[in-house]
Amino acid sequence: MATVIGGIGISHSPSMGVEYDKAKGTRENFDERWRRWYDGCARVRELLAALDPTHLVVIYNDHLNYFDLDNYPTLAIGVGDGFRQADEGFGLRDLPDLPGDATWGIHLTEHLVENDFDMTVSQDLAIDHGIFSWLPYVADPQWPVPLTPIAVNMIRQPLPTQRRLRNLGTALRAGIEAMPTEDRVLVIATGGMSHQISGRRFGLANERLDRRFLETLPTRLDELVALPREEYVRYGGTEAAELSLWFTMRAALSDEARSLYSFHTVPQITGCGALVMAEPDVAAHLDPSMEEQSS
Amino acid sequence: MSSTPDSPRDREPAGDAHRRPLDPPADDLDEPGTIAFTARRALDGQRLNRFALSLRSAPNRSAFLADESAYLKLFAVPAEQRDLVARRDWTGLLLAGGHLQAVLKLSATLGGTLLDIGAHNVGCDRDALASACPRMVDGLPAGMP
Repeated sequence: MATVIGGIGISHSPSMGVEYDKAKGTRENFDERWRRWYDGCARVRELLAALDPTHLVVIYNDHLNYFDLDNYPTLAIGVGDGFRQADEGFGLRDLPDLPGDATWGIHLTEHLVENDFDMTVSQDLAIDHGIFSWLPYVADPQWPVPLTPIAVNMIRQPLPTQRRLRNLGTALRAGIEAMPTEDRVLVIATGGMSHQISGRRFGLANERLDRRFLETLPTRLDELVALPREEYVRYGGTEAAELSLWFTMRAALSDEARSLYSFHTVPQITGCGALVMAEPDVAAHLDPSMEEQSS
Repeated sequence: MSSTPDSPRDREPAGDAHRRPLDPPADDLDEPGTIAFTARRALDGQRLNRFALSLRSAPNRSAFLADESAYLKLFAVPAEQRDLVARRDWTGLLLAGGHLQAVLKLSATLGGTLLDIGAHNVGCDRDALASACPRMVDGLPAGMP
């Protein structure tokens, strides 16, 4: 039986990808603002390697780079042995496609539908900065681990409820544990943190909100889910709605899972943070140098 | 960090007469602070968004740049929205039903970025917005643990 070994929450933004390419992924080439993000991600990279997953489930949101408004899925799952990069209007970045695993995609789709999550199945999914922007900061291309992407509507109202996204995490855990393999699965959610990229409130960020979220998500999920989404948007901007994707990650872990690391910075427009969690038995087997840190 | 050290609000006097668009954003959710992409807007902007999302392919970007007006007509974009495109009226495009993520493809095609749209929304020039970002706000939802 496959097991959930832990989870990561991490921000994404187009500029994160642009700055990575500009710096050619070399620390010294980043400007000061983005070097803070690069440095903060170094620990995520170490922990990801130490956790040694064999499959990733990544909950993300597409930014009208693959899906169209004429048919917009609330929840979609990518099923295939690979996922190409979407052209966001600026041309493609020099990065390899993402490896998939159709067996995992089929299995999770069947399990989720059986448990009342009516997934849209995307057999030709192209992925945007929702995954490609942060991934090079935490793993080297060629990407070492296959993934199953799950795209959540954060584009048009109505968005899926926060409660629904938490329940999706619970269903995902059961689905992962029903897979008859010995895979070690890491659940990653990407979105947020505070930011707003249209209207007069363009460019706002709320460091206190983001840090409080990072502090409380590991142990107080239900209270965070119960806060109205409108309040996250009020204090964190329209795109802070994406924090609800992190609920899926947290709910896919056991109550006993614990935080190994978190950090936060605001490089440019978007509040950027990361949180790494692991199941207790997995955390216990990590090297002592991997014990909890935050910055 | 409460503001960027060189942001205009640190240099200008206080008072309503000098209230500037780069003051910290308010925490209300109304326009023009926040332009929600409602279901109604999705319908109003249906053709506009189809046009803008077609610019995710390089050949289409070339075709648009070669003849903007003819390209827009292929998508039957309504005349008033075509006019907003011609005037690069980013805020008008959002209000007319363009989704920010779709309008961004148009900006990208024209060699612009998100900041061009943002500056038009905020009512300042692009460099002023770039140097003011992040526009830090504070506060937590009531009841947040």
